[in-house]
Amino acid sequence: MSEAAEHHGRRAGAGRAAKRASRMAAVVSTVPFITRKIPIYEVLNEEGLSLIEHNADTVLEEVGIDFKGDAEALAIWRDAGADVREERVHMPRGLCRQIIQERAPRSYTQHARNPARSVVMGGPHTVFAPAYGPPFVHDLDRGRRYGTIEDFQNFVKLAYMSPWLHHSGGTVCEPVDLPVNKRHFDMIYAHMRYSDKPFMGSVTAPERAADSVEMARLLFGDAWIDPASGKPRTAITSLINANSPLTWDATMLGALKVYARANQANLLTPFILGGAMAPVTVAGSCTVTLAEALAGIAFVQLVAPGAPVILGSFASSMSMKSGAPTFGTPEPAHVLYAMAALARRLGVPFRSGGALCAAKVPDAQAAYESAMTMLPACLAGTNFILHTAGWLEGGLAMGYEKFVMDADQAGMLQTMLNGVDLSENGQAMDAIREVGPGKHFLGCAHTQANFESAFHTSSLADNNSYEQWDAEGRLDMSQRANAQWKRMLNEYEAPPIDPGTDEALRDYMTRRKGAFADSNV
Amino acid sequence: MSDDLDLNSLSDEDLVAQMHDDLYDGLKEEIEAAVHVLLGRKWTPYDILTQALVEGMRIVGVDFRDGILFVPEVLLSANAMKAGMAILRPLLAETGAPKVGKMIIGTVKGDIHDIGKNLVCMMMEGAGFEVINLGINNPVENFLKAIEEHQPDIIGMSALLTTTMPYMKVVIDTLKEKGIRNDYVVLVGGAPLNEAFANAIGADAYCRDAAVAVETAKALLARRQGSVQQRATA
Repeated sequence: MSEAAEHHGRRAGAGRAAKRASRMAAVVSTVPFITRKIPIYEVLNEEGLSLIEHNADTVLEEVGIDFKGDAEALAIWRDAGADVREERVHMPRGLCRQIIQERAPRSYTQHARNPARSVVMGGPHTVFAPAYGPPFVHDLDRGRRYGTIEDFQNFVKLAYMSPWLHHSGGTVCEPVDLPVNKRHFDMIYAHMRYSDKPFMGSVTAPERAADSVEMARLLFGDAWIDPASGKPRTAITSLINANSPLTWDATMLGALKVYARANQANLLTPFILGGAMAPVTVAGSCTVTLAEALAGIAFVQLVAPGAPVILGSFASSMSMKSGAPTFGTPEPAHVLYAMAALARRLGVPFRSGGALCAAKVPDAQAAYESAMTMLPACLAGTNFILHTAGWLEGGLAMGYEKFVMDADQAGMLQTMLNGVDLSENGQAMDAIREVGPGKHFLGCAHTQANFESAFHTSSLADNNSYEQWDAEGRLDMSQRANAQWKRMLNEYEAPPIDPGTDEALRDYMTRRKGAFADSNV
Repeated sequence: MSDDLDLNSLSDEDLVAQMHDDLYDGLKEEIEAAVHVLLGRKWTPYDILTQALVEGMRIVGVDFRDGILFVPEVLLSANAMKAGMAILRPLLAETGAPKVGKMIIGTVKGDIHDIGKNLVCMMMEGAGFEVINLGINNPVENFLKAIEEHQPDIIGMSALLTTTMPYMKVVIDTLKEKGIRNDYVVLVGGAPLNEAFANAIGADAYCRDAAVAVETAKALLARRQGSVQQRATA
């Protein structure tokens, strides 16, 4: 019998004031990244997966992949045995897979400055991170507008306070108010200072990637080098997108090499809008995605054997009437399931999914479409789910209300992935014996011991009677979310940081910002 | 993990505050002990009931309504309240103290669902009402018999089904025929009901949940007693 069921006597911190304080507190203690305990769902059998793999190898050998504007990359491929014709690289069948399987780690730990927040990418694990990249932000009060560094900091703070988001993400919105060539300093610093969760680095130029690595080195101080390997600990995972179809460009390759050589993780993601960057079919999209990913990941392993990688897949369908990307549709879900299986067969962590939608506001379209991507992402066994919170209008806007709504759903999904408790307490035979027919379970000892954590409770859903909902102002979910994010920002307290470390980071930024002129190109 | 708090060392004010916390935490034995301490200090049973127990449960009710407390916790609080009441009830009868109120309540004929109704019983008892629970599947005869036997202030009826809720009107119409409808406050509740339905069948109020049932019962009884007093002094 648990302590709660025995329950006799007064306890320290009891009574109304203590309970109200604990139940109404906005910050929940750290929730660890997910270790899934339910089976993985797959849509293709062995024959189907082998077919895609065969076709991808055919693409690599016959069609080839462009490595644009990077002579070093071409030389590396030539040395590895590829057939390089100008900027197009043709990889012999099986070469990429062999390089990857010999060298790439099956999983890796991304270290956070607070070790309790470090995450494992790969295996049975799933990590949720905020949306990445929107130039606009949206909220109910001010509508849609360009993002600023203040918005960026706000989303870092909200992610820090959301227990179900295990990762601080990267470009949570684009701080358009800062010069293009210097905004990465303030973005990286915001993740380091206003959160203690793991984060992503700058990829828009090699020197900005180098700044990201240098700031991580300052942040980790003595803990930067892992004494076991003699290499830097992996503190950054960065998003390297393919310029699909079948192209890796100099900007991304430059950042990729900086991170790989510093033992930081590269997340290589073919970005497919079906019909534009790949054929309109599921198998065709998978083939292009796999070919690009194989080439990118193998390249990382040629640059820095053993450097951490993730195979990413971002696939959306397209309106064939307008050319607009569409989300929450069934075909990209099939791509997601297939790519997750292909990544497992290759032996590398997998990234996909997110609360993706084309909706402009946090409405029913937003919720349906987001759920229709988050659920496949979770069931597929995705290891890193970028875009878990905040995404609106195809990634053009980061929504404040959408962010807290998505973060709330992430808690539901985490509970689902945690599986079914079959322990003695989970079986609850004592409760069934105690209550018997015709009574209720609300007062029995087992319920008394378990009620508080028995069901995942949404912090935003309204389950009250019609009359109570009416009396409380007939608020819909987005209006309740509006109140919640404001309350969270109001109650936010920054995680402590060593003043010397903070000083070193600020010094570095001041010095580097002063070393060259502001520029918006 | 008991602490060594000596209730006797507390001032009256601190002791009552402690009882509010102990009720909140559902600590039955601690409430019983505190009731005895207050009786030893020559508090009247009525003052203990109203200032310590009923006020403590009022706080529980507020936090239940606001979603701070969970149903199983309120059950424990109500049990602690009932334990205190068990000590006070015979003393209250002896001293002729005013009563909070008495209620008969049942699920109407044809309906066997009673978990919601039982939660109402628990909350009403927690608020100091005496509750006679008639159980499920009650024809009008059961209500009439209980009215005669217990002389309640409040008649409560519950139904979960749209097919059984019309029977509430049968009960109320029977009370009207007998000329006794206005002698009682009639409260109705259950998932398919709403305020319009309650008005249409001639009930005094629809109570959407257990916490509202308590608030409504208190408010209607206070108004009723007020109007009785008004008539007496007019």
